[in-house]
Amino acid sequence: MSITIAVAGKGGTGKTAISALLAALLAKESPPVLAVDGDPATNLHQALGLPLDDETNTIGGIRELMEEKITRAEFAPGTDKQAWLDARIFEGLVESVGLDFLAMGRSESQGCYCAVNHMLRYVLDKLAGNYQYVVIDNEAGMEHISRQTTRDVDVLLIISDPTARGITAAVRTRKLIDDLRTNVGQIHLVVNRLAGDISPQMGDLIAGAGLDLLVTIPEDPNMAPLETEGGPLTELPPDSPLRRVVVDIAAKTGLLAGKPRTSLF
Amino acid sequence: MSEFHVDMGPQYEGEAIRRENVQVEFGGPKIPHKFELVTLKGLDEVEHEKIEVIGPDIKDIEEGASSPLAILIDVAGEELEKDMEPVFERRIHMYSNYIEGFWHVAQRDDIWIRLDKAAFKKGLNSLREIGEILIFLFTSELDIIEKISVTFITDGEKVKELLPNALTVYEARDARARDLGDEDVDEFYGCILCQAFAPTHICFITPDRMANCGAISWFDGRAAYKLDPEGPVFAVPKGELLDAARGEYAGVNAVAQEKSLGSVEEVYLYSSFGRPHTSCGCFQSICFYIPEVDAFGIVYRDFIGESVIGLPFSKMAGETSGGRQVEGSCGMGLEYLRSPKFFQADGGLRRVVWMPKDIKERYKDAIPEDLLDKIATEEDVKNTDELTEFLERVGHPWVKGEVEIPD
Repeated sequence: MSITIAVAGKGGTGKTAISALLAALLAKESPPVLAVDGDPATNLHQALGLPLDDETNTIGGIRELMEEKITRAEFAPGTDKQAWLDARIFEGLVESVGLDFLAMGRSESQGCYCAVNHMLRYVLDKLAGNYQYVVIDNEAGMEHISRQTTRDVDVLLIISDPTARGITAAVRTRKLIDDLRTNVGQIHLVVNRLAGDISPQMGDLIAGAGLDLLVTIPEDPNMAPLETEGGPLTELPPDSPLRRVVVDIAAKTGLLAGKPRTSLF
Repeated sequence: MSEFHVDMGPQYEGEAIRRENVQVEFGGPKIPHKFELVTLKGLDEVEHEKIEVIGPDIKDIEEGASSPLAILIDVAGEELEKDMEPVFERRIHMYSNYIEGFWHVAQRDDIWIRLDKAAFKKGLNSLREIGEILIFLFTSELDIIEKISVTFITDGEKVKELLPNALTVYEARDARARDLGDEDVDEFYGCILCQAFAPTHICFITPDRMANCGAISWFDGRAAYKLDPEGPVFAVPKGELLDAARGEYAGVNAVAQEKSLGSVEEVYLYSSFGRPHTSCGCFQSICFYIPEVDAFGIVYRDFIGESVIGLPFSKMAGETSGGRQVEGSCGMGLEYLRSPKFFQADGGLRRVVWMPKDIKERYKDAIPEDLLDKIATEEDVKNTDELTEFLERVGHPWVKGEVEIPD
């Protein structure tokens, strides 16, 4: 049974960097890991230094292709659609050492396909079972957790920038969890790019929402050059603050022991 | 005690083999020519337990490489029937995945197979052993197979040469599948996937009537039910045929009552009136009654603008959906248009007077030739007044009173 870690937050909070470094760390310590890009606005594959040959080869793209084929009645009666979907998902997988990558992509279609989503969930669940860890880089709305996986999330990390607005968004994400049918083991807040201490105002917001502040991360001076060049974050030096905090996160949540700490709530 | 180098059993079914662990890969996206085919032959034509490997075997292939592959399985037995070929062929997928360190994805000319390095190291280094395991599983699980032989071809040229024949066989099977009617089977399937949105909706999936969403055919229903008998797709024993014209089955009624918590008591599979099939929210299209001409129109999800009754699809969908039985407004999979049972109790295709041009084009081989020009599209008429005039002018059989309604 694999352990699922979801990382959520707004763009610019560094959640993709944290997802990539955490996935890379776990892949090194206890492979294999499945890294899932659940935010079409970011490029987790780039952060991981992986190629993505075909930008349309995402779960969203595959679903659209399937819906298109259904609409056009292009499936032969003797073609098992579930089996067809299986193969397409595996084709969409970017396979590397200790770590595979899957992009959720976007789904633009108008159609409403309970059946297609169900088949998709089945394949993704089965696939995820082959990994020690599944790390999902989510958009703040966590659409993929709510719609496409029935899997429970063991650890949810909500990443925020050090602003009151950022924390407010994190609180909103925390509240979203209560509306979802997904069970979440631990939920933690991570405040990134913090100079100095958490302000009393932010502290009140965090406490008021019942959020657990796991760690804070200072601005990482090694990040800017990498981000400018679009280089993989796996090239960050080992003593880089971000990298060190990710090790800290893995330790504090019990991930490195192979089993996450039980729920804090 | 096993005579094989690796273990086997259903516990290995979900096991995927990752790229870095691949000893050898057969088929898949990198290989243009690959297929698997089960052929029923005469008892004197099959040499029992014969295994042949044509082309390089696993041990001859470079580690991590991809190779072409054709799997040809011949079976014979007194009680075997031609229609069992595709069922046995799906078993290749199932049994291959029973093998530890062996992974099989997809079907027909889309197959993708991987062997794990660890299994290779244990000694599984020949397709011959895969053949032995497959024969062992086929014969121990399916008593009716009396003789079976397996041929693996990894010679790319040879696979390419034989592929067209396999494609012809698949096409012939599909043609037979399309001819299958509700009277030919004992079991329908039901689907409650959409009950999250429409709690009283049950889709009845029959050979003549695909699911409303168009995604689940009777064959898909059968496969889904076998894969997950406790899942949202379940078997519906047909039971007694209560009304042949309307397509009312006792078994369907019983399931409708049970799964809709009593809100749907009877379902007519082939009529839009009385007790029509319910509609979820996922339907591909709507067959709607047009009172002005006492006939039907078809509109589908991708149709832009207003249909002939002055409403867009979204608005009409709202009035159709929610798991209710709405007379004269039925969500349906477009493939139902191909069925000879298509709303037969109401006059069938001969009572259809309007449909989008796209749909007419796509289904023109399903529409009787003499009717084709008599069904109006958005290009012919804009409203029901123009429709009435159009139907008079072209002499639509329904308007001329030439369509018989069965009792």
